[in-house]
Amino acid sequence: MSSPMLLATAGHVGEGFFRERNLENLPCQARESELFCWHWATQNIGRYGTPTVQHLEIVVLSVLIGFVVAFALALFAHRSRWLQPPLLAATGVLYTIPSIAFFFLLLPVTGLGRDTAIIVLAAYTLQIIYRNTLLGLANVPASVKDAARGMGFTRRQILWRIELPLAVPEIIAGLRVAVVSTIAIATLVVFISAGGLGTEMYGANLTFPTSIIIATTIVVLMALGFDLVLLTAQRLVTPWRRAAAR
Amino acid sequence: MPPAQSGSHTQSDSEASSLRYEEATKQYHGAAAPAVDRLTLEVPAGEICVLVGPSGCGKTTAMRMVNRTVEITSGDVLIGGRSVREREPAQLRREIGYVIQQIGLFPHRTISENIGAVPQLLGWKKERIRARSAELLALIGLDPELGDRYPTQLSGGQQQRVGVARALAADPLVMLMDEPFGAIDPINRERLQNEFLRLQAEIRKTVLFVTHDIDEAIKMGDRIAVMREGGRVEQYATPAELLMAPANEFVEDFVGADRALKRLALMRVADIDLWEAPLAHVGQATAEVRAKLAAPDVEVPYPLLVDGERRPLGWLSERDLARDVVPRQPDVPLGPVLERDDVMRDALADLLQGESQYAPVVDHQGRISGVLSVEIISEFLKSPEAKSDEHPAVERPHE
Repeated sequence: MSSPMLLATAGHVGEGFFRERNLENLPCQARESELFCWHWATQNIGRYGTPTVQHLEIVVLSVLIGFVVAFALALFAHRSRWLQPPLLAATGVLYTIPSIAFFFLLLPVTGLGRDTAIIVLAAYTLQIIYRNTLLGLANVPASVKDAARGMGFTRRQILWRIELPLAVPEIIAGLRVAVVSTIAIATLVVFISAGGLGTEMYGANLTFPTSIIIATTIVVLMALGFDLVLLTAQRLVTPWRRAAAR
Repeated sequence: MPPAQSGSHTQSDSEASSLRYEEATKQYHGAAAPAVDRLTLEVPAGEICVLVGPSGCGKTTAMRMVNRTVEITSGDVLIGGRSVREREPAQLRREIGYVIQQIGLFPHRTISENIGAVPQLLGWKKERIRARSAELLALIGLDPELGDRYPTQLSGGQQQRVGVARALAADPLVMLMDEPFGAIDPINRERLQNEFLRLQAEIRKTVLFVTHDIDEAIKMGDRIAVMREGGRVEQYATPAELLMAPANEFVEDFVGADRALKRLALMRVADIDLWEAPLAHVGQATAEVRAKLAAPDVEVPYPLLVDGERRPLGWLSERDLARDVVPRQPDVPLGPVLERDDVMRDALADLLQGESQYAPVVDHQGRISGVLSVEIISEFLKSPEAKSDEHPAVERPHE
């Protein structure tokens, strides 16, 4: 990962990146090298509120946009099979671009801030959501589609009433991976002044582990929380899967 | 033979429609020969027509022309005189029941929802769909409780019953059944076949049934079209005609060397002229009985001892007849007893298994109605009467 110092000297790093930390706020660190400073933590827990909300907003918006785009791409590719290899390649290429590089590549176009962050994060989710949606659609048994067609379901009805409901488990599995990875990568958007919990990780003093631990804990809890919500949602909308398991 | 309109209430609101192929042809792009070549065939309303033939003979393609899951290249298919080609495919299909071998129940919908799928497409009201689902569950003999289950919770046989119920839900004009029992184990297959025949006796749908199994074709069909490559019909006939008078070598080969025996599966004991049994009663003078035996048209060499209700008790031997009066205990045990409703093939099996040349046939009350012998059966199979149009296939065995 690029050093923030380098970024700073290159003049690309935005305001608020190196937020000043009052040294008085770092008592443990100032005196001894402790891994976690409870005292500081209890005094400063309030400062994580805004970054957490920012983080949440960025993640939700990114995944939402990524989902809409990837889902639409998957539906096109499902309808026109020849689209599948090029779309897979395209989303794959996006996925392989290193995140920091991606951010800075976009800077001249979209500038610093949240928009750039969301574009990059959304782009990262495309591959997994696209692939899983297609996979889910492909897993629908041919006999089920044949029966539906023979019974008088139109193409659209087969897609929306038969194929997509049956693809829900794979789609949600893709969403879960997308959400968790987006939550993690979103800690880097601080480098383009988009805020988020990265602010409290890669702050002025990179050697202050207490804040990194707190911010990381919030990130992990957020990931777990989203995962749980999605898993619960999947169970609620796919009751037939539990019936099958019984 | 009278149609079995025994059902107290018929499930059918609409009349079944006839189905007619007129020079129907399917030519796939790049294929040298048509998959189905100028098929002309008429299925009368309310009958089961079986398309049978080796794989690749175009039977499934021919069937799929009806609901336009295969588009007709030239010619036409008419349902109730109306061309399927002028219909919007999805609309058309909602009027045609569709059952396939892999069943294809919707895994994410309950059994009731599966059955109600076509009514839902047709925009029926919820209460009406629910009532119809319940009615059909009862019709196919499934516990109404199963309506809330999902397909994976049912056995293969139950799933296939639901598949049939789903096809019947919107009271279709025509039913298409593509090897519907092909994936079911032999014991359950037979049960499902019988159930469907019983159901059909009640609902009287026009059914196009595809199978590669000639035995199934003979069992299920009112008429059978034996097909070969290119969708050509080699013979279109009743099962009895097909078995007794195959049109050509292909049909003869396809029907198999045991077609005479297959013929027996279509008959019941009551369909054949039985021998009259020389009867004897306990305490009767044996001289009288011997006189009966001596009559010129008596074929059975031993008298049958019956009780006061004419129920058979046993056979009298030479030794019994040497006495003055007929004894209470006959020398020879009864052996197999057949019923008039027995399927002829089973009756023959009973005779062979019992190592007897003949066996008494009784009616529902157990009273003697004649004697069936191996000789009668073999004579029948040789007789021109067996080739007649009077096909007993309509009166099918129940179980």
